Amino acid sequence: MDFEPDAEQTEIQQAIDALLERHAGPARAIQLAAHAGYDQPLEDALHEAGFLGLATAGAGPLEAGLLVESAARAGAVASVAAAALVAPGLEWASLPRPIALADASEAGPVRFAAHARTLLLRDGDQALAMRLAEGDAAPVRSEYGYPMGALPTRSLDGEPLAAGSGATLLRWWRVALALEIAGTCDGALAITTAYLKDRRQFGRAIGSFQAVQHRLAECAIAIEGVRWLAREAAYHGAPDEAAAVSAAEAARVAQLVFAETHQLSGAIGYTREHDLHVFSMRLQTLRLELGGVGAHRRAVATSRFGAGAARG
Amino acid sequence: MEFDLHEDDAAFRRDLEAFLHEALPEDWEARSADGPGSEAQAAFSREFCARLAERGWLTPHWPREHGGGDASAWRHALLGELLWSVGEPRGPQYMNVNWIGPAIMQYGSEEQKALHLPRISAGDVLWCQGFSEPEAGSDLVALRTLALRDGDDYVVNGTKIWTSYVNHADYCFLLVRSDPESTRHRGISVLLVPMDTPGIEVREIPSVVGERYFHEVFLRDVRVPVSCRLGPEHEGWGVVSYALQYERVGAARYARAARTLDALAERARSRGQLGDPTVQEKLGEARAQCEAARVLTWRVIDQRAHDLPPSADTNVARVAGTRAEQAVARLALELFGTEALSHGSFADSQFRLAMTAGVAVGATEVQLNLVAQRFLGLPRE
Ligand SMILES: Cc1cc2nc3c(=O)[nH]c(=O)nc-3n(C[C@H](O)[C@H](O)[C@H](O)COP(=O)(O)OP(=O)(O)OC[C@H]3O[C@@H](n4cnc5c(N)ncnc54)[C@H](O)[C@@H]3O)c2cc1C
Repeated sequence: MDFEPDAEQTEIQQAIDALLERHAGPARAIQLAAHAGYDQPLEDALHEAGFLGLATAGAGPLEAGLLVESAARAGAVASVAAAALVAPGLEWASLPRPIALADASEAGPVRFAAHARTLLLRDGDQALAMRLAEGDAAPVRSEYGYPMGALPTRSLDGEPLAAGSGATLLRWWRVALALEIAGTCDGALAITTAYLKDRRQFGRAIGSFQAVQHRLAECAIAIEGVRWLAREAAYHGAPDEAAAVSAAEAARVAQLVFAETHQLSGAIGYTREHDLHVFSMRLQTLRLELGGVGAHRRAVATSRFGAGAARG
Repeated sequence: MEFDLHEDDAAFRRDLEAFLHEALPEDWEARSADGPGSEAQAAFSREFCARLAERGWLTPHWPREHGGGDASAWRHALLGELLWSVGEPRGPQYMNVNWIGPAIMQYGSEEQKALHLPRISAGDVLWCQGFSEPEAGSDLVALRTLALRDGDDYVVNGTKIWTSYVNHADYCFLLVRSDPESTRHRGISVLLVPMDTPGIEVREIPSVVGERYFHEVFLRDVRVPVSCRLGPEHEGWGVVSYALQYERVGAARYARAARTLDALAERARSRGQLGDPTVQEKLGEARAQCEAARVLTWRVIDQRAHDLPPSADTNVARVAGTRAEQAVARLALELFGTEALSHGSFADSQFRLAMTAGVAVGATEVQLNLVAQRFLGLPRE
């Protein structure tokens, strides 16, 4: 057991951060959002640097998980989790990128689908990889932080994985969500903390009011919990219970952090001038995927206590 | 960064579980229902701790020169986690081995070490912690209990309150103000006081938590030899800060909560409630909170294992542990409904044991202040 990064992990993390510093960040996200764009150059840069292969080549799923968390913290507009963590989890390493993740039981728009070349579809207990051509998934307008597309209506060529692969996809997707939520919450929290230190009302920094401090402290505590649960789950290869636990806690915390960071940021927090929305609106997308907090919690109960029939 | 329990530690945990299986009496659940301070548990602790001591498991983390085994921070934490989760069969003695002994090792005179350390290591002495006072709760440094020098003695006058375990204790780790002119952190001393010293009166404060849970301790002209002072005169705050850094995350409340939750799920199953998606969601929510508290506590243990200085991560873990325990306790009542209201029912016992979580060993709000200031760097009020 060692919560501190070793020398190699520190080196990987620094290299990831340096790349994201150059290619990503809220300003870039806002610029892309103006035309629902996708950051192909960022994805290509991550690929060329070898980061999308961290899970399989040399490092492991924990290091891939650190990449997912970092990319989310930088507001990256690229489908990093699917390529770096979820597809390798299915031992499906060389799918055409970008990869979008979809659940056949969900009717809503799908993150990154409009730009994806592969749709990794969970259909009950089976996972399918489907080729997408340009125009297959029509763009859907959405304010929830990501470029979105509609699931194609025409039948697609798909490569099914064995029965049971749906559960594997689900486990890794849950861990990926938790890592994305941890990183995205970090982004929202950092912006809000800076605002509370700078913004003065009633002759003092509003961050000095105890009522405000406690709310932000609760967010920080909750985010730390999600981060370490998700990293631990990634390290262990996304076991059923740990994956569901991290997703359940993450989905809860996503809503807490959304609500508190907006409330504490006042009116400026709702505007496109202020970076908060880059992170906060994404939290809603992330917390709803895979049936949301209720489904994750039922999955925890099922794997921990063998409760009833699995739902969702 | 890696999350595998060391093979030796995992083996140790298995051995300890096997030992507990054999060493805990059949009626342990009933005996431990009133918490580590109850009559039954204080008495059992002497027997149990002696058996732990025989195996070197009472003070494994102590240095060898004081009879310990130089065990790692991890070994010590796993021991505490498992014992607390089954209801703390060490009774009040967890305090002795966790921080009272180490404080005596660091600050004690040769005479004090020779008197106290062997008894603590043998597992047959009970201590209590005399810190809080009627006017000094969250703001502990407002304490007023006065110890005035008179020859080779201090004459102590004052009142302590909420003192757990004092009704069974042989000694009190007592905080006093030795410099009457002083305020706040200065002028405090620590006295190691035998509880049979004349002038000490203990009165129970009846509570809804349990019997003999809270006490008031009146100290009237209690003569304590100067040789019982631990550490330098007037610098007791340093002694306490040192001692309590050993208690960073305190009792493993999340582990007890997780075990209670497993038991709750079993009871829900036998009552046919487990198929209900609402029940599943509540169980899942509470399990996730217990797990978050565990991993955050383990992070603090790991910092300790790395010899890193105490950080605000401790406060983060403490709040998460409190929240987890509160969530499980609430759920216990909700699952059983009004049946929970009968005195001594499973849900009732769990709920009342957990209800003090946000106040005992420091209010949650004080922890949140520290997280806001030290972890987030927000300005002080
Ligand atoms: C089960 C139990 C066992 C205990 N055992 C012992 C023992 O063995 N020995 C011992 O010395 N003491 C013991 N205590 C006492 C314990 O340490 C105190 O209860 C605790 O420090 C809080 O002090 P208080 O109860 O006086 O609450 P107060 O200080 O009166 O505070 C009441 C409430 O006010 C709020 N508050 C206080 N300060 C702040 C602040 N700065 N910012 C925001 N809100 C604040 C919090 O919500 C707090 O809960 C025990 C308490 C309990 C419940």
